[in-house]
Amino acid sequence: MSALVSLFSREARLAWAGGGGAAGPTAFFLACITLGPLAIGPEDATLRAIAPGLMAIAALLSVLQAAERLFTEDVADGTLELYALIPASLPLIALVKVLGQAAATLWALPLIGTLGAMMYGLDPAQALITGLALLVAIPALSLIAGFAGALSAGVKRGGLLISLIAIPLMVPVLVFAAGAGRAALDGEMDRAVATLLLTCAVSLGTMALTPFGIAAAMRARLG
Amino acid sequence: MTESALLSDDWPEFPPLDLTVRDLALSRGEVRLCEALELDLSSGDAVFLVGANGAGKTTLLRAIAGFVRPDAGEIDCGGHAEDTVSWLGHSDGLKPNETLRQALRFWCRQSGQSSKAIMPVLKMLEIGHLIDRPAGRLSRGQQRRAGMARVALANRPIWLLDEPAGPLDGDGRACLARLVAWHRGRGGMVVAATHQTLDWPSAKTLELGR
Repeated sequence: MSALVSLFSREARLAWAGGGGAAGPTAFFLACITLGPLAIGPEDATLRAIAPGLMAIAALLSVLQAAERLFTEDVADGTLELYALIPASLPLIALVKVLGQAAATLWALPLIGTLGAMMYGLDPAQALITGLALLVAIPALSLIAGFAGALSAGVKRGGLLISLIAIPLMVPVLVFAAGAGRAALDGEMDRAVATLLLTCAVSLGTMALTPFGIAAAMRARLG
Repeated sequence: MTESALLSDDWPEFPPLDLTVRDLALSRGEVRLCEALELDLSSGDAVFLVGANGAGKTTLLRAIAGFVRPDAGEIDCGGHAEDTVSWLGHSDGLKPNETLRQALRFWCRQSGQSSKAIMPVLKMLEIGHLIDRPAGRLSRGQQRRAGMARVALANRPIWLLDEPAGPLDGDGRACLARLVAWHRGRGGMVVAATHQTLDWPSAKTLELGR
């Protein structure tokens, strides 16, 4: 157990020190939500209506943007072989690695998403639901991106492959995460909470399944 | 720093262990690299894998580590590879922004080794003064020595080394030979793919041909 804790903190530390930590995805997220109103127009009603969906799309793109680095470096510097020889199951190692990186790089998105939703004109309760939806969607998004990243590690133009593999798999998370905020906006708090719980369920399901896919991709890369 | 300084409580002797390879066939893509390969090692042994480029030295090491599935034959390394094998590949497995202290502490935690054991091993490899330097700011030879330190700290009986002396100078090769002698002295074994002539006493040689 302490071995997995130290793996989590190592991955978080490496993402923090080597890749600029949260700066990359945060800048990308901020760019999406600030450029949105400039392109769409300043009407209050429109901005309120698109806020939950725009936050979810911005989070999805920020996660994708960071995915290529996730396994490429490990393949190049020989870390992959060493992780495969750690006496813990490879799917567990994959899960801990991806979540460690996500914790270091994506922690700011739910906070900025909440503030951003308020700036788009949502009231605090609605904005909070929007931010919470991002928070519970991020594990699923980053694991799906991690799966695509592991499959494309070391492949030329891996970024393209990552988008093609990950985006279709991310559709349910996107629909539920944006749906929670939209339901809150419609004043239906019961439906908002239910959709939030569905987002949780998708995230938990992804946490249970994708590590096996990531581990299989890592093994294929070794062979 | 002598070998005896490392024989403390952190480094008990390994239980007797055999590494046996029976009737092994390996290939890379469509190319058959070896057939009916046999290898027997027991505690304290060392073997050099020699052969031309592309003869299959690395592939054999990867098969023993369990990364590559052989076409035929059996490899028995006395248990799961995760519990018995320590690996040094072409790359050293170092992260450029991580200091040796951070990296080796992490690997000690993974193998259950005490982190007090780090400094003596680094001193034996004559890189003790580099412990707080990020790996990206080490020379190739120093990185190789750091990789060897990680192999030693994994505390596993079977060392699989791919060109361990590649970037090492004369001094580094002497350090490597001392480390290997110490490892064999506590009942470990070493399989090393190499093009260089290394002076390891009573090491066997296995020639891989096309």
